[in-house]
Amino acid sequence: MDPSERPAVVFDNGTGYSKLGFAGNSEPSFTIPTVVAVNESFLDQSEQCSSANWLAQYNAGVMADLDFFIGDEALSHFKSSGLYSLRSPIRHGQVNDWDTMERFWQQSIFNYLRCNPEEHYFLLTDSPVSTPESRECMGEIMFETFNVPGLYISVQSVLSLSAGFAYLKSLSEEDSEDSVSDMTGVVVDIGDGAPHIVPVVNGYVIGSSIKSFPLSGSDVTQFVMQLLQERGELLPPDDALDIARRVKETYCYTPSDIVKEFKKHDSKPSKYIKQWSAIKPKTGVPYTVDIGYERFLGPEIFFHPEMYSPDFSTPLPELIDSCVQSAPIDTRRALYKNIVLSGGTTMFKDFHKRLQNNIKKIVDERVAETNARHRVEVKPVEVNVVTHPIQSYAVWFGGSVAASSHEFFECCHTKEDYEEHGASICRTSTVFKGMY
Amino acid sequence: MILLQSPSRFLLQILKDRIVSGDKGVDIDCHTVEFDDVRYHVQFSMRNPKVMVLSVALPLAPPEAILYDGLPLGAIDAIKAAYGAVVQILDPPKDCFDLTMKINLTKLPTDEEQRNVVLTQIASVREVVLGAPLKLLLRHLASKTVAPNVDKLVALVHRPNESFFLAPQADKVTVVYPMRFQDSIDIVLATSFLQEFVEARRTAALNNAPSCMWSPVPPLELKGVNADALDANAGFVTFVVFPRHVEGRKLDKTVWSLLTFHAYVSYHVKCSEGFMHTRMRRRVESLIQALDRAKSDAEKLKKLVHGGSFRRLSMKHEGNSNH
Ligand SMILES: Nc1ncnc2c1ncn2[C@@H]1O[C@H](COP(=O)(O)OP(=O)(O)O)[C@@H](O)[C@H]1O
Ligand SMILES: [Mg+2]
Repeated sequence: MDPSERPAVVFDNGTGYSKLGFAGNSEPSFTIPTVVAVNESFLDQSEQCSSANWLAQYNAGVMADLDFFIGDEALSHFKSSGLYSLRSPIRHGQVNDWDTMERFWQQSIFNYLRCNPEEHYFLLTDSPVSTPESRECMGEIMFETFNVPGLYISVQSVLSLSAGFAYLKSLSEEDSEDSVSDMTGVVVDIGDGAPHIVPVVNGYVIGSSIKSFPLSGSDVTQFVMQLLQERGELLPPDDALDIARRVKETYCYTPSDIVKEFKKHDSKPSKYIKQWSAIKPKTGVPYTVDIGYERFLGPEIFFHPEMYSPDFSTPLPELIDSCVQSAPIDTRRALYKNIVLSGGTTMFKDFHKRLQNNIKKIVDERVAETNARHRVEVKPVEVNVVTHPIQSYAVWFGGSVAASSHEFFECCHTKEDYEEHGASICRTSTVFKGMY
Repeated sequence: MILLQSPSRFLLQILKDRIVSGDKGVDIDCHTVEFDDVRYHVQFSMRNPKVMVLSVALPLAPPEAILYDGLPLGAIDAIKAAYGAVVQILDPPKDCFDLTMKINLTKLPTDEEQRNVVLTQIASVREVVLGAPLKLLLRHLASKTVAPNVDKLVALVHRPNESFFLAPQADKVTVVYPMRFQDSIDIVLATSFLQEFVEARRTAALNNAPSCMWSPVPPLELKGVNADALDANAGFVTFVVFPRHVEGRKLDKTVWSLLTFHAYVSYHVKCSEGFMHTRMRRRVESLIQALDRAKSDAEKLKKLVHGGSFRRLSMKHEGNSNH
């Protein structure tokens, strides 16, 4: 059977979580933390024994190479045994440790999806600001080590955008062809790594207008933990971050006005204060944590970043606005009309409403000012922040849709291309072509 | 993790999630492909949230491997024995699949531990179905008999269009694998791995393991088998399994290991390639670093020369010596 008759494997390796699955499915088969637990005790031992014994050293190296875990298993091995250390191959959306990344892929392929990489095409995703060298490295590992028949490396933001279209299309009965071919919008991708705001016009990324926001999901977690601890809630130190993360995912929401929200909480604490119960890992004693203002203060760092980080004070809505303003003038209206959210950290309740209101306000003020200054009547600008239920894994979903189309197999770099031209075929990404 | 586990992680996760999420779950319709082209299709519908419809496609069987109603010998009985009332087999199976089962989650045991045992069993459906004939033959070996109505040489499908062979006798069963690989590097690595594997078997610690041989040509047991089935590019591996290898609880483990022997070797070959690349990359990196260091030393030297500091130094020196 030709590999193109089997579903392609789609990997979206994020800073925090990796989404692994097969093209054609509507959800990834696995969503696991992007971490690897490695056992370095072998190496330490060999350093102690004399360096002359190269065979012992070599064997220790091999054992260290074999003894590792990924995902949730990595976390549990790390917690329960002192032998393992944790490594995150991806920092701020970009791979910075290729050996660890290779191990992560190896386990993802052989032990999670349990497939033979020679029998499937692969779609990998890549941050909008990653380098050609990093794409080259991806290609090298995929073709050389895993011997894949074909590979496509896609830019995350473009996939998020197409995911939004594909999802809306699947809802509407009649085929509205033009809206699908019209791939224009601003993608706001906030996960665990460095969030990016990426304008896309007709499927092409406008590289010069990409903006980054320095705070992400892990900062919200950190902030929630700080708030809980400062208020005097007793969290077991080993579990504090984990609990803060789960509190955040379960209870945090975005209010329309933070001052009103404080008042609401104060007048009706019983309605707004939540409890989190857990068991102390060491002693087995149950305990409860009260969750109050954290619920709405956590996500507030996107609207008042100076609350958490004194060096940065531009709120997210302002950054999105300046991103659109830096795009070519004839594309701006279309961009405002389709601001697409993607990534786990955009899942807070009413996050999109707040963004939409704030951006609308900035835009309306600008229009009013223009009208007053030039005595004209400019048509109001339509601002639309799009949400959909697949938002938290939109990148993967977009990949799944893209990799199940027929054109996909023609767009892939094949093993033959690789053998003829080398890893440089992966350097360029078609979505940047023509733009610079 | 070096050995492949029998339960599919994917199926097990879906089943467990479903138990946790209870009735408020959503429609699920997804598919997955495992090594050697075993495909699964999972369906849950809102109308009947407690029923999972699971379809399984097996690797395409070569002509010498005989199927019964599209399934390996004894598969239906094995399913009934393993799952009892929880599973109902649908006849005919869904298009493009060899087996479709309805799994009724309300019939699962209420005790969590017992329930997990059954769920793990369901996720191991591959072993139950493909391993059924193997288990039948080995069970007879455990009681030192030969199964009735069985040929002298049985071919069982384990990969698309490929089978392995069993020669059952009352006191031992000989298992032969023709080993095939696609990639030329894989063939070389696999051949040397297999020879080392046989060598390792001879060490004292493994005295109780089944004896194991590798040969570049088909062993005698395969006399009379058609030429296509004997066309192997990485030689032939033979195991001799004795009753002590299939006693009691050892049986399941032996069945799974024999069933996935080829996958095990190919996984090893892939991993070794990975390790080699990692090591080569590290080596190249350290060489580049060494080169960079050498280069920057040379550049420093150049700068010094250009800046005239050498001359100044030496002039100073001269001056000093004049005094
Ligand atoms: N329902 C939720 N509400 C808020 N945050 C969430 C939710 N679900 C996940 N997250 C957060 O989203 C982040 C992961 O998002 P993801 O897009 O997977 O990141 P990445 O792709 O960078 O790894 C984590 O910080 C996680 O805590
Ligand atoms: Mg992401």
